[in-house]
Amino acid sequence: MAKSWASSWAVNLRNIQKFFGSFFQKRTASFLLLPAPGRWPLLISRLLSIATALIFGGIVFTLCGYDTVRLAVDVAQASFGDLFGLEDLGLIWSPLILTGLAAAVALRIGLWNIGGEGQFYAGAIAATWVGLHVQAPAGIALLLMAVAGFVAGAAWILVPALARAWLAVDEIITTLLLNFVAVLLVTYLCTGPMRDPANAVTAASAHVPYEIPPLLDDLHWGFAVSVVLVFAVALLFGRSVWGYEVRVAGANRHAAEYAGMRVRRRLMQVFLLSGGLAGLAGMLEVAGTVHRLEGGISNNFGYLGIMVAALAGASPLAVLPASFLLALLLNAGIVLQSYGVSKYAVLALTGLVLLSAAVGERLAYYRLAPKLASAR
Amino acid sequence: MTDADPPCAVRLASVTKRFAGVIANDAVDLEVRAGEIHALLGENGAGKSTLMNVLTGIYQPDGGQIFIDGREVRFASAAQAIAAGIGMVHQHFKLIRAFTVAENIHLGWAETPVRVSRPQMEARTRALAEKFGLDVRPGAVVGDLSAGEQQRVEILRTLSRGARVLILDEPTAVLTPDESAVLIRNLRAYAAAGAAIIFISHKLDEVLAVADRITVLRAGRRVASLLAADCDEPELANLMVGHDVAPRGRQSQGWTPGRVVLELCGVSARNDRGLPALRNVDLAVHAGEILAIAGVAGNGQRELTEVLTGMRPASQGQVRLDGRVMRADPAAFLAGGVGHIPQDRLKNGLAPSMSIADNAVMREYRRPPLARGPVFSRVAAAALAGRIIADAHVAVPNMHAPVRNLSGGNQQRLVARREMRVASRVLIAAYPTRGLDIGAIGTMLRYVIEMRNSGIGVLLVSEDLEEVLQIADRVAVFFAGRVMGIFPTEDADGEKLGLLMGGQLA
Amino acid sequence: MIDVLTGMFVTALLAGGVLLLGALGELIAERAGVFNLGVEGLMAIGGVTGIIAVANGAPALLGMLCAMLAAAAFGCVFAASIVLLRANQTLCGLALTVSGGGLAAAVGQSYSGHPAAAVFASVHIPLLSALPFLGRAVFSQNPIIYVIWIILPLALHALLFRTRWGISLRAVGEDPAAADASGVYVLRVQFAAVVAGAALAGAAGAFLTLAYITSWSDGITGGRGWIVIALVIFGGFKPLNMVLGALLFGLITALGFVGQARDWPVPPAFLSMMPYLATIACMILPPLLARQKRSRFLAPAALGVPYFREQR
Repeated sequence: MAKSWASSWAVNLRNIQKFFGSFFQKRTASFLLLPAPGRWPLLISRLLSIATALIFGGIVFTLCGYDTVRLAVDVAQASFGDLFGLEDLGLIWSPLILTGLAAAVALRIGLWNIGGEGQFYAGAIAATWVGLHVQAPAGIALLLMAVAGFVAGAAWILVPALARAWLAVDEIITTLLLNFVAVLLVTYLCTGPMRDPANAVTAASAHVPYEIPPLLDDLHWGFAVSVVLVFAVALLFGRSVWGYEVRVAGANRHAAEYAGMRVRRRLMQVFLLSGGLAGLAGMLEVAGTVHRLEGGISNNFGYLGIMVAALAGASPLAVLPASFLLALLLNAGIVLQSYGVSKYAVLALTGLVLLSAAVGERLAYYRLAPKLASAR
Repeated sequence: MTDADPPCAVRLASVTKRFAGVIANDAVDLEVRAGEIHALLGENGAGKSTLMNVLTGIYQPDGGQIFIDGREVRFASAAQAIAAGIGMVHQHFKLIRAFTVAENIHLGWAETPVRVSRPQMEARTRALAEKFGLDVRPGAVVGDLSAGEQQRVEILRTLSRGARVLILDEPTAVLTPDESAVLIRNLRAYAAAGAAIIFISHKLDEVLAVADRITVLRAGRRVASLLAADCDEPELANLMVGHDVAPRGRQSQGWTPGRVVLELCGVSARNDRGLPALRNVDLAVHAGEILAIAGVAGNGQRELTEVLTGMRPASQGQVRLDGRVMRADPAAFLAGGVGHIPQDRLKNGLAPSMSIADNAVMREYRRPPLARGPVFSRVAAAALAGRIIADAHVAVPNMHAPVRNLSGGNQQRLVARREMRVASRVLIAAYPTRGLDIGAIGTMLRYVIEMRNSGIGVLLVSEDLEEVLQIADRVAVFFAGRVMGIFPTEDADGEKLGLLMGGQLA
Repeated sequence: MIDVLTGMFVTALLAGGVLLLGALGELIAERAGVFNLGVEGLMAIGGVTGIIAVANGAPALLGMLCAMLAAAAFGCVFAASIVLLRANQTLCGLALTVSGGGLAAAVGQSYSGHPAAAVFASVHIPLLSALPFLGRAVFSQNPIIYVIWIILPLALHALLFRTRWGISLRAVGEDPAAADASGVYVLRVQFAAVVAGAALAGAAGAFLTLAYITSWSDGITGGRGWIVIALVIFGGFKPLNMVLGALLFGLITALGFVGQARDWPVPPAFLSMMPYLATIACMILPPLLARQKRSRFLAPAALGVPYFREQR
């Protein structure tokens, strides 16, 4: 495995050689491009590329004059040092699980749902509205809020979904642009119709009376719900007829049509599920953590969800470790702020991790020429 | 060749090329003289195209040398090969379909001026076409041209680059017999003018008619180089395959018509670009017969198979399965017992990144025991997959490996057996033997005959006339979306079919 | 009334100029077959570099040049990943957006909110600027406006459709295998196209911070990079259409400002939403209306597909 890593760097040297013409006449050993990466090389390349990105970030950090080791220790301390730290980590991890799951679900059928941020806010808006206008026992109210959040998220993705399924309009742009619209909508609502009359300082809605009960002190049951949903979705994809059809449609749309599957219908269904999950994440954040609607309750959760899905390779179960990694990175951002460094540096680092993972995935396709069998 | 002769126009010495786990060319020698037509003969997968890709700089050889006019050369790119006077007309044309003929001619050409407008390019192209005696329309968009015209554009492009070595890869595969004759006449003229021509083919009769010398490749190695005058078909076939090939005799018995299982009544259909592809087609497949569709590829056969399997709607007319009028719904056709071995298995028939097992159950996944309500049983799926894999004689250590790891022959057998299971009425087989070696071809034809003998109707689309005449009961010839004629195979012969394929009513 | 229109047009030329610069750059990359989703990040990098450059004494034009260089550098990294290493274009583009935006925000924190030290100042052309409408709208702007709106699109049109380089570039985007077999250096063409596109995206960012909004803050690009990509798509991949599209979007943005200034009954948030909603509408309406005839909204056939020469 280590061999293939070393060899794949040499292959890229050869690409660079091709690019610059015949600068280097030295022969490199022969490297082969495989039609598909093996499972283990893929996993290892992913882990190695994440590590490389983090190390690179650490080097840059040190070069800027900061103490990287102390930073790492502080992050570990803040995350795992005590129960509160763990709970705070869980509060960041929980929404990432769902937004990551949302993006991964879409990716399974080959769709890019970049609108997680907007669907998150749509769900938050709907959940807040229901929470403020419904009188019912807590359990019922929370259930209604959850349904509202899911439906709102699905509604927010509806137009891009229809455009993609029926008009072949690229969903990347349409889902993404709606993010900006959602943020503006939240601003409008929080400074206007849904504004809390009692609070003159910040633009936020009134306090939502229904709260998700706590699992531990700060960490609420929403976390458990998110984890359960991950397993539910994994089961859906692996053990249901619907899941089989979605997987085939994602692997080769033409083959799915040839086999008699209704691909358009599956596209829409997956889109709506994806939007709904992101909307649900918004509801959980409002009902469990923030307890009101205001701008900025999403700490880029939607966008980071895409990263989670990419790192998880569109596999639902892998969303759990991938979202955990990104939660740690976000935690690092908070610690960085106490160092006087902009919290955006962490965003830059996450971008680098994604780039590194994309490149690493490519490198997993290469392998040193093994013992060759002669043709036929 | 003695030392007194001038050096060969092209000499490949011990050229080797490897891909993942396969040696495509194994120390191959080739010598081509100026003024001769040299045929490169071999089955599918023998390494002919790979060797030529090495010669034209698209692939880098892993071993061996290339000599042009006696000087050793190394081509790091196609541009260098073109500059050295090597021109190739590919089997799948390397033309930009969205560009006009003139733009294609001027693409990547050293003599294109830096600033050039469309009228300028078209005028220059017209001049070149006249110079080389090729009939092309400079302003036409390549995507709209027929295969013969596109090939003429490719040839014009290579000749205008000053090619003195002209390589043609299976050039007659997309031509009617008339167009082939024109091509061969042109090739003889170019050779007489001093060019060296390399003609790749797997058709024995063509090779003997056209070439001066023949080199035979088998399994990546060169097995012989002979003068065409010194050999005959059986000898060449023997060299190509490596053992004696018994002459293939007719294998179909007298045919008694069963009932009609699948028919087209006055069907017209459009292709993906909205142009008419099928025109008023009447066709009927009977139970227990093999109906072959002969014709040069691109005359509507793809749209025909798509209409017959519900993948394409008919703009006019009706498709009837067992007498019932069918809508364009692949699921309905599947439920009605229509199996489909698609023309392009990697695009339509398989999901290359999914496992072999997942692909094997793709047509039966909705039926019990695999599906109980919404639940999909992995265990039952694995069992079914195992049965299909065993029937197809595909040896896989792990059925959960991606199906694209399998060889072409294995993939095709897998698809075939999968479809044979669901084809309770009709099996539509589109070019099932394309791209396979002789062993795999034999297996596929055996499957087809097996289906016929068990009372299933088979529609076989093929571009290999020999194959068609060998196993079919009836033959329908397709040209420009129309059925030119249908008759029992006893009444058919190569010449008659060739005329119909070329659009001329007999 | 004429005053309002004039003001709108001035804003439109500035706001639209940002979009046009980015779109022309993205057009080059997409015509070569590369779907560069990182425009937003490149614009941020260009914007912050411009601000920093002028804060250190450079005139605005030099600041823009520095911005182009910085963005081109990031473009090289992106091009290396996509063209040489053949990594997934969508992922790399998203990575570039996020990391570019994050890096720019981190580096530009101390400059946030301060007006730019040097800007593209207005230049009043002697006689023409006295004209009633066009005088203020067109002939009293910085000359770079002419470069962006007239010279650059025309030059790009000529380059793409009337030179041999243009033929090679478009061929690479349509069918890299065919281009390769014709002797075009596919990798070099794609690499150059991506870097050129990145440089123009950087210029767009600098134009944003040095001419239009004339200051920097986090998130100032506000999704313009994405509108740029949409612009290229529904502009039919032709430079002259980009001009019309950018002007349209500039006018929509300006309309939003007019609405806010004149206290229209529409809440300001909704006015700000207009560009985004308009973009979505522009992406959906053409295919919806052109369903009957197969119009030429066709993208380069090989857009977004990485090229593998030795693939069997």
